Amino acid sequence: MSLTDDMHAQGRSAAAAPDGSAMLRRVGLFVLSAIIFIFCVLPFGLVLAISFGRKIDGAGWVWDFTLENYQRFFVGVLWPDEVTFLYLQQLGYSFYFAIIASLVAVLTALPFTLLLTRLGRSAQALWLVFIMASLSLSEVFIVMGWDILLSNNSGLPKLFKETGLTQWLKDTGYFQTLRDWGLANPRNVKFKTSDFATILTMSYLVWPYAVILLYPALSRIDPALAEAARTMGAGRWTVTRTVTLPAIRLPLFGTTLLLFVFLLGTYVTVTVFAAPNKHTTAVAIYTNIRGANLNAPFGAAQAVMLLVAAGVCLYLGHLFNRRSEAR
Amino acid sequence: MRFLGALYMGLAALVLSLPIVVVCGAALNSGRSMFFPPREPTMRRFGEFFVSEPVWTTALWNSVLVAVGAATLAVLLAWPIAYWLWSTGTRLSKVLAGLGSLPFAVPPIVFGVGLGFFWAFAGGLGALWAGVISHAILLMALPLVTISIGLQSIDRAHLDAAATMGATERMIFRTVVLPQTLPYTISGFFFVLVLSFNEFTVIFFVSASSYATVTLQIFNSLRNGYTPTMAVAAITFLAVSVLVFSAVARWGDLPRLMGADQSRK
Repeated sequence: MSLTDDMHAQGRSAAAAPDGSAMLRRVGLFVLSAIIFIFCVLPFGLVLAISFGRKIDGAGWVWDFTLENYQRFFVGVLWPDEVTFLYLQQLGYSFYFAIIASLVAVLTALPFTLLLTRLGRSAQALWLVFIMASLSLSEVFIVMGWDILLSNNSGLPKLFKETGLTQWLKDTGYFQTLRDWGLANPRNVKFKTSDFATILTMSYLVWPYAVILLYPALSRIDPALAEAARTMGAGRWTVTRTVTLPAIRLPLFGTTLLLFVFLLGTYVTVTVFAAPNKHTTAVAIYTNIRGANLNAPFGAAQAVMLLVAAGVCLYLGHLFNRRSEAR
Repeated sequence: MRFLGALYMGLAALVLSLPIVVVCGAALNSGRSMFFPPREPTMRRFGEFFVSEPVWTTALWNSVLVAVGAATLAVLLAWPIAYWLWSTGTRLSKVLAGLGSLPFAVPPIVFGVGLGFFWAFAGGLGALWAGVISHAILLMALPLVTISIGLQSIDRAHLDAAATMGATERMIFRTVVLPQTLPYTISGFFFVLVLSFNEFTVIFFVSASSYATVTLQIFNSLRNGYTPTMAVAAITFLAVSVLVFSAVARWGDLPRLMGADQSRK
């Protein structure tokens, strides 16, 4: 730091108008701080403030300080006469889809990333281009692709039927199992709408993120450790279990947590692939703010609850990390 | 074991490219509906997307404007913060960098809702320039990270040498700092460009249906059923992404940007 401080001192003394440039710097910093505050902090403040507002029938909403929206979120409008956990249930489905999808993504991305780090430098770069390209692909495109693949008239169900796989499933009796899981109608297999399709698409959505997030940690594992264990006679599986996995436990956990938080807000996938009775808080936020309901304060309250839920998870993760590091 | 590894990576590549391949194939359909494999393959949809259908050409133009504008703005905002953080490391600079990355770290829907309210008050709701600013703020975290990585890669000895030879801070900045961080700045620019191109949630809230980017247009068309023209959009976007990241990999250092260990080759 002393070097750069020196640089600053020198820069100032050498400048033609030292006071002017220092002044300029201060003004610049102030403007920058103001911009960051206005655009990065204020929007969240507005969401919080409006969540205490009140809806007016046919006329939008007004500022207020009421807890009605939060009451509605937890126990419904008619409380205490009538209690409904509909909105909590929606939050529950947000968690349900996000937890399973992030776990699936991380667990399948882990072996892939391990293999990736063992490749040569240029092969790694090639793979990374591929991964980054699919990472940046919009959710709407991905949903479109899987939608074509999973729709009843095209894609997999048709493939099942034409190849005789459906008939085979019926003959062997597995078809009934699929029906019990909600993955088939009386005639053929179906994937829309199903939890399977939702979770598949959601984990596909974050899979490249999982690779990118695991990549730095995995590429820093010292191969000498594993080699040492191997020369001492440990089997391949033993090495993975006792050397590699403990070394990457924290990044593994952190990645899952980040993907989980990201997936809490998934919208397009859930509207297309999830059954209507399993729609999540994100969908409810959309309908309240931009959709049919036009109840901005309640939408804002739901957004706050989603953020709080995400924050609590991140905080618990942080605590867990600290504890396992201290051990 | 080696074979199994290759098999697993191949399988991952297959699943990863499956929906993309399907979308690309569907673009070749000559009829009005999507089939895979395509029926009577034709390239007519490409003409519709790029030239003849105003819905798509306008959407494409909007997407390009928002992406280029947002990428430029994001880099301009991220540079002073990253530089300040690197050269002084004060607490305030750390706070600013943290706050600047905040929008990217929370579920995008919450920030989208917030910006929707914000622009409603600031008078930019539904204006294209508000969309540009929104994306710049949302994605600023990316150039912040890449430029910081670039600044950290500067050898402090170079700065010492320049300073002992009497260079002013401004000269050092121009002759040492700027050239050495240029590849990282460009990478940051392109990351924002590509992600803005593909972003849906935030632009959905700030556009307020008064204009459409390509992703918004596709989402609107979701309800009316797919048309092969949409698939052309997907191909275009994918091609842009691959080109951009190939360029970053070719001229920048993609593995390093992704945080790979430098000591091993």
